[in-house]
Amino acid sequence: MNGQSDKDITWVCHKCNQNLALKKVKVRYLEGNFEVELMKCTKCNMVYIGEDLALGKMLEVEKGLEDK
Amino acid sequence: MDLDKLLETGDKCIHTEPPICVASCPVHLDVIAFVSEIEKGDLKKAYKLMEKRIPFARLIGSICDHPCENGCSRKDAGGSIRISDLEKAVVQFGYQPQKKALELPKNKGQVAVIGAGLSGMTAAVDLTKKGYMVTLYEKSDRLGGRIWKYEGKGLEKGLIEEELQIIEKQGIKVNFNANIDHSGLKELENEVDAVYLGTGVWEEVLKIDSDTFQIEDTSVFAGGRLANKNDSIIASVNSGRRAAISIDRYISRVSLTASREREGVFETPLNYKVDKEPFIASIEKKNKYYSENEAIMEARRCMKCQCRDCINGCTHMQTFNISPNAYVRQINHNERIILGTHYANKMINSCTQCGLCKEACFLDISMKDVIHETRESMVEKGKMPLSAHDFALKDMKFSNSKKFSMVRKQPSKEASKDLFYYPVLSYSKYAKGLFRGSGKTGFLFYPGCQLSATHSEHIGEIYKYLVGTMKENYIEGDVGLYLGCCGAPADWAGRQDLMGENTQNIKKVWEENDQPTFILACSSCISIFEKYLPEIEVVSLWEIFDQYGLPQRNIKPGRRVLNIHDACATRHHSNVHKSIRNIVNSLSYKIVELDYTKDKTKCCGYGGLVYYANRDQATEFIKDRINESSEDLLVYCAMCKDLFVSGGKRTLHILDLIYGTNLDGLANKKMPTLSERHYNRTKLKMNLLNDIWGEKQGMDMMNHVDFNLIIPDDIMAIMEDRYILVEDIQQVIDHARKNDECFFNPEMNQYLARLRLENVTYWVQFEEKDKDVTVKSVYSHRMEIVEE
Ligand code: SF4
Ligand code: SF4
Ligand code: SF4
Ligand SMILES: [Zn+2]
Repeated sequence: MNGQSDKDITWVCHKCNQNLALKKVKVRYLEGNFEVELMKCTKCNMVYIGEDLALGKMLEVEKGLEDK
Repeated sequence: MDLDKLLETGDKCIHTEPPICVASCPVHLDVIAFVSEIEKGDLKKAYKLMEKRIPFARLIGSICDHPCENGCSRKDAGGSIRISDLEKAVVQFGYQPQKKALELPKNKGQVAVIGAGLSGMTAAVDLTKKGYMVTLYEKSDRLGGRIWKYEGKGLEKGLIEEELQIIEKQGIKVNFNANIDHSGLKELENEVDAVYLGTGVWEEVLKIDSDTFQIEDTSVFAGGRLANKNDSIIASVNSGRRAAISIDRYISRVSLTASREREGVFETPLNYKVDKEPFIASIEKKNKYYSENEAIMEARRCMKCQCRDCINGCTHMQTFNISPNAYVRQINHNERIILGTHYANKMINSCTQCGLCKEACFLDISMKDVIHETRESMVEKGKMPLSAHDFALKDMKFSNSKKFSMVRKQPSKEASKDLFYYPVLSYSKYAKGLFRGSGKTGFLFYPGCQLSATHSEHIGEIYKYLVGTMKENYIEGDVGLYLGCCGAPADWAGRQDLMGENTQNIKKVWEENDQPTFILACSSCISIFEKYLPEIEVVSLWEIFDQYGLPQRNIKPGRRVLNIHDACATRHHSNVHKSIRNIVNSLSYKIVELDYTKDKTKCCGYGGLVYYANRDQATEFIKDRINESSEDLLVYCAMCKDLFVSGGKRTLHILDLIYGTNLDGLANKKMPTLSERHYNRTKLKMNLLNDIWGEKQGMDMMNHVDFNLIIPDDIMAIMEDRYILVEDIQQVIDHARKNDECFFNPEMNQYLARLRLENVTYWVQFEEKDKDVTVKSVYSHRMEIVEE
C-alpha cells in the first residue's frame, strides 16, 4: 500500500513542527491486519494519508476485504 | 438461508427453455443460433449447426417436412419463419466438406442394420460414431431408399450421390441385394449384439415400443415407417437416431428409459407472447432458393423466442446481463463460499427490490424476495460489505435520534385557548379542530424522514390541515404528530436486528398514544408498516386529500400534461393510485399513463439502497425511467423526485401541485444535499415545536463552532459523491483547531486534519483566515490507522 509521492513530503506536523518520515505503521480493517510504510510525525506519531492513497490502493484493499 | 429452496426457485424459471420451433423439431436444430448466424451473414456457421443435429444435413435439410414451422410464434405476426427455406439456402451457400474424421476404434459390439433408407442409414452412422461395428443390409442395389424419389424434385442426383458417400467414409460395410426376411433376421440375431430394422414394411405385425423402439424385450429395434406410420422424413430420421441410442444402452446394459423425456418432439413450457411484436410479413423468395440477402432478411424476422418477461422490465438484470435462473445459481455459489471472494456481492446489492420481476413473471418468481433473503443471510453471516449500506443506516439512526424524532399529541385546548376567539374560530378549521380537542389521539401524522427533508416547509401546514379536517369528520380522535424513520433502510439492507428494534419503538409509541391510525405520506413507510406492523391501521395522506378535499388554498389549476410515476413500494395499493389520479384530475391536469404503471410500475433507482451501494446502477434506473416518459413526471415519493431531477427530468411532487407556487421552478429544483437533509429535519423539528406546541427549543440542537465554515460548490459536490456530511468535516476541523492536531504545508499555507468518527476516518484540507475556514479538499477511508 505504498503510494506516497514526493509532493506529500511538504507537510509537517503542526504541533511538533517536525518533518514527516517513512515508518512502518499498523493498519487494520475487518479481519485484515497489515504493516505498511507510511509518512508520520516521529514525535507524536500522527500518520499522514494522502487523497490518492485513501481513494486508490486503500479503497481497493477495503473493498477486497469486504468481499472476503 | 435454505439453499435447496433457493435452487428450486431458480429451476422454476423457464428462461433457458427452448422456443416451440426447437421443441417441435424432432432432432432439435438450435433454431435461434441457426437464424442468428444467418443474420450475421455467416452461412458456413449456420451449416455447421445443421450438421450438428441433422443427419445427412444436405439431403434432409433440402427435403425436410419442417414441423418446426407449424407452431412458430411469428405465425400470427407476419407468418412463421421459413426455417425450411433458410435451411435450403444454407445447404446451397454454406456447405463445406467435412474434414476427415478421426477413425475411432469400433470395439463396443456388432450391430446389423437392415434397410439402407433414411432411418437405417442414420442408425448406422450414429452407431458407428458411438464405436460399434455396423453392417448394412440393403435389398436393392443402392443406398438411400426413399431419397431417390426426390431426385429432380428438390435434390440433384450429384448431391445425393455425394452425401451418401458418408456411409463409405464412415467405414460401414454394406451388403447390397440382401433380402432379409423373418428367418434371416433370426440368424442375424444370433450373430450380432443387436439388430436395427428399417425396412419400411415387414411381413408380420411388430410390437414396437414408442419410446425405445425396442421390439418386445428382444435385441431387435425398429424405426422408420415401421414405427412412425407416417411419411415424415424428419420423423423417420429421428426414429433411427433414437433407436441407435437405445441399442447403445441395450448393449451397454444401462436403462433404456432413464431421462429421455425430451427426445423427439416435446412440449415446451415457453409460451412466447407476440402482442407487442410488430407485424412483419414473410420474405418471399424470388428464385428457387433464398438469396443470401433474402435469407438474412427472413432470419431477422425471427424473435429468438425466450422468456425474458422479467428481464425486459428490469434495468438491474439487464445491466448485469443475467436471468433469474443464472442469478440464483450465482447466489447459491456466493452463499457457499467459505474462503475466497464473494463475487456476487455487488450484484446482490444492486437490486432495487422493486418487485416488478414478480409482476412480470407468469410463474410469480420473485427475485425481490430471493435477493432480500440473501441480504439477510449475508448480514447474519457477517458477510455483508460494510460500506454498502453504512451511510443509509447512519442516516436512519440520525432520523430516529433527538435531532429529528419526536412525538406530540394534538396541542391541548388549554394550551390553545389564545386561538379561540372570533373571527379566528369561524375561518380557521385548524382552530376549530383544536377547540374540539378530546385529549384522545385518533390519528398520528407520520410524514417520514425523506419528505420531512425535501418538503419540510409544508409539513406544519399539512399538520394543521389534518387537525382541521379530521376533527371535522371524527369528533373523537385528535391528530398527533410523529417524526422519525420507518426503518426502510434497515429492511433493504437485510438488517433484521435494526428493523426489529425500530418496529418495537414505533409500536410502543402507537400503544402509548391510544393506538391511533397512522397518516402516511411516503410509499416506503406504507409498505414497511404493512410488512412489519400489520396491527397498525394506516391511511395515506393522498387518500385523505382525495376523500375530504384539498386544503383551502389558492391552488392554480394546471394545464400541462403529466406522466405519473407510481412508487414501486406501493405498486399493490390501488387506492393510492386512484387517489393520486383523482387529485391530479381535480387540479385539471391531463394524465398520460406510462407503459409501466400502477402495479407494473418501475423503481426510480433509490429502492433497495442501490443509490448507496452502486451509484452507477441507480443512474441506469433513473435513465431508463426518464427515457420512458415524454411529459413532466408527477411523483408522490420524495426520493423519486430527487432522483429524476438529478437525472435532468422535470419532475413534480404531488405536494408541489398543492402547496407550490412556482411550478416551473419546482419542476427542476435541485433537491437538498445529504447534509441539508439533516439540517432540514432538525430545523423542521425546532420549527414545529416552536410554532405549534410553543416549546422554545434551545438552539442546542444545531452544532455550533467558533469558526465560519466555507465550502465551495465543487467541494460540496464531491462530498455528496463520497457521502461526507458538513457536520463530519465541521467536527474534523473543530477537533484539529482545539487540539492542534493537524499537518501544515508552509508553501500553500494550508492545514490537513483527520478525525475518526465511528468507523470512518475523515480528512479535510483547509485554509484559515481569521474566523473563516475554507475547505480545499475532503476524503475518507474506513481502514483504521494505529498511531503508536
Ligand atoms: S420466431 Fe424464431 S425462435 Fe420463435 S418460434 Fe419462430 S423460428 Fe422459433
Ligand atoms: S426486484 Fe426489481 S430490480 Fe430487483 S430483480 Fe426484480 S425487477 Fe429487478
Ligand atoms: S419471467 Fe423471468 S423469472 Fe419468470 S420464467 Fe421468465 S425469465 Fe424466468
Ligand atoms: Zn507531531
